[in-house]
Amino acid sequence: MDTIIIDGLSFALPLFIMAIGGIYSERSGVTNLAIEGLQGFGAFFGALFTVLIASFFNIPLQKLLYLALFLSMLGGMLFAMIHALLCIKFKANQVISGVVINILAMSLTVFLTTQINSMVFGEMSDKFQIGTSPRFTIGGLADLPVVGAIFKSIYPFEIVIIFIAILAAYLLNKTKFGLRLKACGDNPQAVDAAGVNVSRVRFIAVMISGALSGLGGIAFAYSISTNFSPAIYMGYGYLAIAALIFGNWKVLPTLGACLLFGFARSGGYFIAYILKMSSTFSDLIMILPYVLTLLLLMFFSKTNRPPRALGEIYDKGKR
Amino acid sequence: MKNNKKEKAKNKGIKKAVFKLLGDEKRQKITIPIFLIFLSFFVASIMILMLGKNPLAAFYNLFQGAGIFPKASYAGYKSMLTDFLTLLNYMTPLVFASLAVAVALKGGLFNIGVSGQMLLSGYFATIIIGYSGLDAFLAKPLVLVVGIIAGGMLGGLVGLLKYRFNINEVVSSIMFNYIIQYVLSFFIHSYHIDPVSRQSANVSHASRLTLTNVELFGLKMDLSIGFIIAIVLAIVLKYFLDRSRIGFEIKAVGSNSKAASYAGINVGKTMVFTMALSGAFAGLAGVTYYLGYYSSIQPRVLPSMGFDAIAVALLGSANPYGIIASSFIISIIDKGSTYMSSIAGVRQEIASVITGLILLFSASSSYIEYKIRVNKDKFGYEPGKELDK
Repeated sequence: MDTIIIDGLSFALPLFIMAIGGIYSERSGVTNLAIEGLQGFGAFFGALFTVLIASFFNIPLQKLLYLALFLSMLGGMLFAMIHALLCIKFKANQVISGVVINILAMSLTVFLTTQINSMVFGEMSDKFQIGTSPRFTIGGLADLPVVGAIFKSIYPFEIVIIFIAILAAYLLNKTKFGLRLKACGDNPQAVDAAGVNVSRVRFIAVMISGALSGLGGIAFAYSISTNFSPAIYMGYGYLAIAALIFGNWKVLPTLGACLLFGFARSGGYFIAYILKMSSTFSDLIMILPYVLTLLLLMFFSKTNRPPRALGEIYDKGKR
Repeated sequence: MKNNKKEKAKNKGIKKAVFKLLGDEKRQKITIPIFLIFLSFFVASIMILMLGKNPLAAFYNLFQGAGIFPKASYAGYKSMLTDFLTLLNYMTPLVFASLAVAVALKGGLFNIGVSGQMLLSGYFATIIIGYSGLDAFLAKPLVLVVGIIAGGMLGGLVGLLKYRFNINEVVSSIMFNYIIQYVLSFFIHSYHIDPVSRQSANVSHASRLTLTNVELFGLKMDLSIGFIIAIVLAIVLKYFLDRSRIGFEIKAVGSNSKAASYAGINVGKTMVFTMALSGAFAGLAGVTYYLGYYSSIQPRVLPSMGFDAIAVALLGSANPYGIIASSFIISIIDKGSTYMSSIAGVRQEIASVITGLILLFSASSSYIEYKIRVNKDKFGYEPGKELDK
């Protein structure tokens, strides 16, 4: 039972932070299907520089954990600039741009990972070993029945994510910047008339989205595989998008959707483990979050209300 | 992109020359994609230069590997012609897959599920026809039919989910991609696995859409039957989209669904039909891929071709003729990369980077068109006239 909660949380929280990134971008009016690519590129960027720094300065990888998180956010932000440029400056179709970013991120990171591995480390590998993340347990609280598992073997990134998520929710809902951002997604003309630069707000929103996706990506890299490899492109970015659609583009309901995904996944693995199913059956369990996504979308997509100007290129002259 | 822009800003002469080369609006349909390809190769060659390799030699190897230029030496029964035929064999599913993306794009939909639709139709054709031992005359057409039905049903389902439940087709088709990938991996591992190759067991020779090792002129070549079908269908599709009522409705819904609905077009029905048609093309891509170019299915892997097809379709501006041309180019990049990496020592993965760059630039092609329109006034350029200095 504990493993369901522990694994569920370590899956749900990275998903959640990526979904918040998606909320930022989409509430500002820019469709962001690029989350998948942004999280991969962010994780690649963080892993690359962590590995390089660790080998040049002989620092053990474990000590660079927070640096890796920060660098991944930076990497995601940099790559998100391409999406922002394409969608806002070059007026490209936002759906196409998102998909293009994903494909480019995948091919670029795979190429660069193998290339850098062979050039710098002399290895034929498509992975960066970033080391295992330390985990800790909060004494006292962990002894509580059932809920105690929440406080058992926590990844440090989970705390970082919760902290940043609260900050992001505050920024979005309580500050002038956040309110303007949301207005850009509903009625950009009005925001423009109020003297705010719509393009700039959207650009910043997409960059924030990239940073948060990068954080989610490196968190997956730590929790699922302890390395960066092309296996990071598992479609979790799209799960995050699905989560924010159920969450009706609001932060708290999105958290609920993410937790549901996390527990469905860890619960599925747990059942497979108890029933001692062979590894071929793990393929069937892998589909649980995806099937759940489709089913939930069927029930929720009709009634929810996306930002009104979502996906529209802002045109000053339009009435 | 940034570099290119800076350069342009610095150097008006280059800018003028580029715009002059791109020509008037009619010519731009061809010149802009060519310009984008050159731009992608230019960026790729900077990357290759940074690795300390000669980009021109690498690209020459790329073309050699694809059978466009002769290689230094050939194995027995092989020549430039056989390499070229292999290229066409590889190009066949890519043309179908790109037509699938293009049909959806025309209807204002984005079919990113081509990979999953290919896998599903390839699987059904394999187990129903591929393992059946039917005669070639019966098996080959049936493979096509199964492919069309399986792909079309899945595509139609995605369209239905969009129409009935308002689910974004991109999200739902990606979910289907993963579900199909894992479920079929389960079935292949459980029932159809070849213990040696770790792939599904080979399909019967009679059911394959490519005639392999045909001995002609002392060469052993692979002749793709699907290639001819692909070219014919591309022409039919062009005619269908431009001249038929349904084709017009698809495009009307694609460009403005509200206006289409006021004009009395059933938007939902058209949407479902568009996705089903797109899925059917993806199904054809699947059978020509798994029962043509290959003869087995690798479990747990989605064909990357479904994503390359997006690049092809965008590069060909969703025009069937443009797609034939652009899939030829993308096939060369994909197919020649193995030979390039073995001769020039540049990693094979650069091929997908080039494709990715082409995609990136294609996505901003409308911006280039817009820029040209704006600059036309600035430089006093008129179509058909020489540029004033």
